[in-house]
Formats: sequence, structure tokens, C-alpha cells
Amino acid sequence: MYELARKALRFAEKAGAEEAEVYYAANHSTGVNFKKDAIENAKDRFSEGIGVRAIVNGAVGFASTNSAAQIENAVEVAVAEARVRESDPDWVGLPSNGKYPTVSGIYDKKVEALELEACIEYALALIEGTKEVPGTLPTSGGFTRAKGRQLILNTNGIEIEEESTAVSGFVDVITVNGQTSTAYDFAVSRSLDIDFFALGKNAAELALKSNGGIKVESQKTDVIFHPFALSDIIEEALAPSLDADNIQKGRSGLIDKLGEELAVPELNIYDDGLIEAGIETSASDDEGVPSQRTTVIEKGVLETYLYDSYTAGKAGVKSTGNGSRSSYTSPPSVGIRNFIIDYPQTDIIANTQSGVFVSTVIGAHTANSISGDFSVEARNAFTIKDGALDKPIKSLMISGNAFELLRQITGAGFDVRKVGGIITPSIRVSDLSVIS
Amino acid sequence: MQDINMQDIKFYDCRIIEGSSTSIILDNGKIEEISRNFTKGAGIRALCGGSWGYTSVEGDIDLKKGIEAASKLAFSMNDGTPKEEVELAVVNPPEVKNLPEIRIDPRDVSIEEKVDLLKSIETSAKVKGINSTKVMYLESEFKVEYRSSDGIESGYELLNVGFAVSAVASENGVYQAGRESRFGYGYELFKKENVLELAGKAGNTAVELLNAKTPKGGEMPVILDQELAGVFAHEAVGHASEADLVLEGDSILENRIGEQIASPLITIIDDPTLHEFGYYPFDAEGAQSKRTEIIKNGVFNSYLHSRETAAKLGGTPGNCRAQGYSMPVVRMSNTFIDNGDARFEEMLEEVKNGMYLIGSRGGQVNTGEGIFQFNAEKGYLIKNGELTELIRDVSLSGKTLEILNHVALVGNDLKMTAGRCGKAGQLVSVSDGSPHLTISKALVGGA
Repeated sequence: MYELARKALRFAEKAGAEEAEVYYAANHSTGVNFKKDAIENAKDRFSEGIGVRAIVNGAVGFASTNSAAQIENAVEVAVAEARVRESDPDWVGLPSNGKYPTVSGIYDKKVEALELEACIEYALALIEGTKEVPGTLPTSGGFTRAKGRQLILNTNGIEIEEESTAVSGFVDVITVNGQTSTAYDFAVSRSLDIDFFALGKNAAELALKSNGGIKVESQKTDVIFHPFALSDIIEEALAPSLDADNIQKGRSGLIDKLGEELAVPELNIYDDGLIEAGIETSASDDEGVPSQRTTVIEKGVLETYLYDSYTAGKAGVKSTGNGSRSSYTSPPSVGIRNFIIDYPQTDIIANTQSGVFVSTVIGAHTANSISGDFSVEARNAFTIKDGALDKPIKSLMISGNAFELLRQITGAGFDVRKVGGIITPSIRVSDLSVIS
Repeated sequence: MQDINMQDIKFYDCRIIEGSSTSIILDNGKIEEISRNFTKGAGIRALCGGSWGYTSVEGDIDLKKGIEAASKLAFSMNDGTPKEEVELAVVNPPEVKNLPEIRIDPRDVSIEEKVDLLKSIETSAKVKGINSTKVMYLESEFKVEYRSSDGIESGYELLNVGFAVSAVASENGVYQAGRESRFGYGYELFKKENVLELAGKAGNTAVELLNAKTPKGGEMPVILDQELAGVFAHEAVGHASEADLVLEGDSILENRIGEQIASPLITIIDDPTLHEFGYYPFDAEGAQSKRTEIIKNGVFNSYLHSRETAAKLGGTPGNCRAQGYSMPVVRMSNTFIDNGDARFEEMLEEVKNGMYLIGSRGGQVNTGEGIFQFNAEKGYLIKNGELTELIRDVSLSGKTLEILNHVALVGNDLKMTAGRCGKAGQLVSVSDGSPHLTISKALVGGA
């Protein structure tokens, strides 16, 4: 299929496309998964396909396929779709002039060369880690390694090819005695620098520590969100409002807020496609625009929204390199890259007299992505008393608003974590509603 | 590593899937996207001792090579970390019958006509006060072929269509959305369902919610509408009854068969033979689809099974499913709480003072601890047995078994809602439903 990408571009021009783009992606992943403490299966997945954007008279058509025999048909369909549509006055053009920065740390030869036996060893390390903590059992989990290759070509001269690797580990743990409590931990990285044993142990310790939860009073209090909990809320309740497409369509809580003091002055937020070994790091975004570092919030002030090439053209600004695709089967749309939360760090729990610590949340995806309102169930939550975690909390709901939360941040920990693309320490927020 | 001996591979199977899908998105009255996707690929499993090997390949496939690759994985796993042999419950060759009838093939309808339909849906959703709208049309056809080393060979084709509309209203920095969607088989869906009326409903909901209040949370009696109660049936009860989770020790329903776990008013069924969105003639292991009573009159009756879990726990397979070429896992199909006989008016009287929670913006559940959290789309306060103020940003959370036991009344107005379930990172088509339910005591989250 890789060899057919160039051919597809020529097909599109021949079929009458004024501009055309071919996005090729291939991925090979190997996963070793366990149930309870026994390895259950190994999975090898090969995926490869092509997505074509064809533009006729300022209208875009899109088609994709993973079958070599269907490429010509897919290209023709894309051109035919473009012809059905009315000309889009906001269409400026496909990206051009790609001068790419150098990025590092996203490809590791060792990951690509990993044998099944080694994958099994890493999965076993996750299980072994949980066994360090008596009274717990893993329920499920696994190790995965993946290698991807991506090629973007367009008729404006864009040609960029990149290779990348990733490894990840996940483990879910349950307690076996007394009250049931569960916990999970996971990590993803570009190379083999994850301590899988420690991951299993952490999850097991957290499950055990959460056992015997107490009921707390409904109140307004300080809440410290672990990076896992915070990144869920950011992804579902904050990031959608920064998407220029949502701004342009009236679906964002941040319309007309550029230049406004949105957050506490100590807070900076960066969207960065370039950081060393980031999960969202690459020389180009998914439509061939060079990656960059974008200051989204500086000293509390909202500096910019995030753009792909289309929304940038519509707004008359430059793309911020946020053209993103979940797979070759979809055209690009705006998506965050490495999204970095930066706030002065301290020993945050030790500096908290009383409040609540929340490890993870469930239900963040039910947040109102426009208004920023969220109501989530806190998991593995603990009371904080005199600068230390005190007692596990049985059941707790936290309601709030993502934008208000930015104005109520009062502290951050040293525990910066890469939760996929979101990179953040634990964050303390004052005066949040907890309902029990 | 030793060389693989095919005699050690006691089972393998292949699913070959070929299909295409079309999506059209109309955003604020403009076509945002028309896209088509043509796919072909296969998922192949092999079992060696207690270990599964799985290979998925996209594009044109050499099945023999695929079977070898999966076998090699299974063999190496079993060689490296041997464990208890996996037994598979016996399945008979499935009968492919009773497929949903399609009167109007969407492939015979032109793109222009589909775009026109979306435009009229958009117009209906854009009631006074609506600032933005989005309408999506989806159509997908696929052919599944199944083959196993047990000698089963079968196949079927399905074609489904549907649409989703969302409308957003805003005022003084407050944004509220209304959503409706319908999915089914055949283009006649758009004639059968009053889609324009549904679109108008989405628009009106968004506008009304602007002025809705956020209630004070706490413990109180509630009425759940069909959609929210359906989500509860699927998320809280259905998942906990999936035998793979039970075997992982991640279900509160482990070792509960035969026990009274719910109010005797409650019967919960999973039925893939219904022509709802979770329909299939046979599952991803070639097992005939069949109706399962999960809870019967409050008594926990059955888990949902794959061939492996059925052999281990005793039961009937038929609920093993996969998204595309992914490895099949135990899944639900059409899951619902069966009708009772209460009328809505009786429910209001029974509740007296509480809340009526309507629709769902999703939810999550921890099957191991048996706790859940769902956000309703909207609701009404119930005062003195009457519906009063409209409310928003309300959520329901609690313990699955407590809620099941606190069901005081079950309505007679069962309604199914189509959706997609994302267990194990795989999306499959499902539907869930219920009649209205009255819960005597539940934790409602609000401001």
C-alpha cells in the first residue's frame, strides 16, 4: 500500500481534483494480556490504509480504504463527493511549504525489535508487582508495543514521512479480603523506560489503601486531583473549548475570551508537538503542518485557540499544527498535542491542612464540553488531614466547572506525569463541591 | 523456542469481514464532511493449551498464513507460560434466519437526497434560540464470514443506517445542548420515525435547559425515564453479568446465581434476536444468537457467555462479539428491563417529593465494586406528586444492588434506545431499554 500512495495522488489529479492529499498510516502492534494472574493471550495486529482528500472548486471529498484493490475506487469516490458539495468559501487550501523541525525520542529501534518472549516478560512484571502487596489480585491488564509509520503527500508539495514506536502497560487490581476496593495504574512511553513491576505494585498498594472507606460530609473543600483525575477532566471539559472549530461554530465556552485573564496568574498551559519523546510528538501534524510549541495560557491569560489548517484559514491565522486524525479512515480535525500544565511546584499534600485527594474519576466523559460543567464520581479518594493522606473515602461525587477550576488553582505537586499527551502534576483546587 | 507443532493447536477460527461505510456531516447547515470507507480484513484466533494467539490483518489476506501466525503466538505463549487448558463449550452450526428486512436499500438513495434529508432535519432542529446544529448520517454495510477448525462455516450480511442530531442554545455564557438519534435497518427508518419531530425536540430541549435550575443533590426517591433506566440495565447490571468479568473476579454478581438480588418486579433480558440495533444472527464464535434472562423476577438467573466462559462456568455461549477484526469478548446485545404494570401517574403519586430524571449523557460503572454514576440529560422536580421545575446537570450514582432492591414500581412502557458500547476498547452496536422505573431511594448529584 505504501508504494501506492504516490499513485493515489496522481489518480486524484487525473480524476479532476484541483488539490489532493494522501495520508498513509501503517501500524503493527503486539499485546500480551493477562486475566487474574495468568497470561491469557497474545495479539498481533497489522493495520495499514490510505485516506484521500480531494478538492474540487473549494469543496472537499474524503474516502479511505485498506484494500489495494480499492484505492482507485476510493480516489474516484472522494472526487465525486467533492463535486456534490457546494464550494466552501472558507476553504483556503491544503498545507504547503513544509519546513520541518527535528524531533527526537519518538522512535526506539529496541521497541520495534522486541520479541514475543520479552513482551511476555514485561506483562509478567506487571503481575509480579501486584504480588508484592498481599491481599490483592490483578483482575486484568497487559503490555503492548507498537510501531507506526506515516506518510503524508499532497499536491502542494508536502511530503513527510515519520516512524514512531510506543510501549504501554496497564493493570487493574482488586482487594481479596474484607470490603472490595479496586485501583488501576498505567503508563505509556516511546521507549522501554517504564518500570512495569512498580506499576503493578502501585496499583495494588492503592487498591489496598482504599479499603475500608469512610463516609464524609457533603461540603465545599480543597481537592487535590492526581494527574490521572485531572487529565480526564481537562480532556473532556476544557480542551474541547480551545478547539477553533468549536469556537467558530459557537460551541465553546471560550468564545471572545482571547486576552482575558482566565486562570490564576501562576498558571501556564502549552500545547507542544515538539517535546522530547512526547506521546504526541512528531515533526508534522496529521496533515503535514510543521509541529510547534504554542502558548495557550500565559500567566493566566488566554493567548490562543488551537487550529488545524482549515480552521486557521477560516480565521485568517496560521495553523498551530493541531490537525489530528484518529486513523486513516477520517479526515483531520483539531486535536490537542502534548498538553502541558505548568504551575509552581511544592510538596502539595504536605502543604494542605484539610481536604480531599482524588486519584481517578469516573464519568468525566459525561461533562458538558461547552459549558465546562462536570460531575464525576471520585475513585481511590482520601481525606487529607494535617498535611497527609488520612482515610479512604467510600463514595464521593465532585461537581464543578472546568473554567472556574482554572481560577481556583492554589497549588501543584512535584509528581508530573505523562497521561498520554496530557502532562501535568497533581493540582490543588480550592472550594469545590463534594457530595457524599 | 521450539518449532511449532500444529497438532498442539486444538482450535482455531477466522472471521473475514468486508464492508463499506458512508458518513455525511452537516454542521450549521453546511456539509462539513462526506466520507466513505472501504475495508477488508480478518481476525484469526488459535488456542494452544490455555493460551490464545490472535492475529488481525487488514487488506487482502492469506488465511493460511494468518492461521500459522496466530498458532505460533499461541504455541509460544503456552510454551513460555503454560497454564490450565481452556475448554470450549460445543456449538452447533448456526442457522442464519430472520435477518432484519430492508425495504429501501440506502445504497439506492442518492447522496443528494441524503443531504436534502439532513438539511430538513437541521431546519427542524433550529428552533428559536438555537445557535448551532450538527446532523450526522451514517450508513454501513458489511459481510461477515466465519470458519472454525470445528467445521463451522457460515456468513451473513447486515446493513444499517441512522442519524444523530445535536442542537446548542446559548445565552449569557450558558450553553446547553439537546440530542436525538435513531439507528436501524433500511432507509425506511427515516419514514417510520418522525425524524423532523425528533430534531425539533432536540432543539427545544437545548433552549429549555438554558433556564433550567441545577438542583441541590442528596438522597431521595426518583423516577427514571426509559432511556436512563436502560443505561442502568446495560451499564450496571449487564456488564456485571458478563462472564469474563465474573471470571476475572471483577463482578459483584460472582457466585450469585439463584439468589434474589433485586426487587421481584425486576426482570432483565439480553436478546440479540430482536431487530434492534444489537441484533446478530450468530456471534463472533459462530454460536447461534439467543435470548437470555439475566434476572428473572428479582432472582439472578444467568451470566452472558462466550464458548470459553460457558465451558468454565456452565452456560450457553452466544454473546461473544468483536468490533471489526478485534479479538472477540463477552458482550451484550439488546438489553432491557421487562415491562411491569405501573402507570406514570401512579409513580408520581408514589414518589410524592423527589426527581424525575430523563435521558442520559453517558455513565460509567465499576463492576467489581458494584457502583455506578450516570448523568441525566435533564429532569424535573417532583413536588406533591406533580412535575414542577425543569432541572439540569443532574447525575445519579450509587450501588447497583441497592438500586435494584429499591425499585418500587416498574412501568408498562418499555422503549429501546440504540447506542454503541465500548468495552475493551471495542465499539459494538447495542441497544438498551426499560419502562419507567421508580426507585425509592437514590443518590442524586447536583450543585
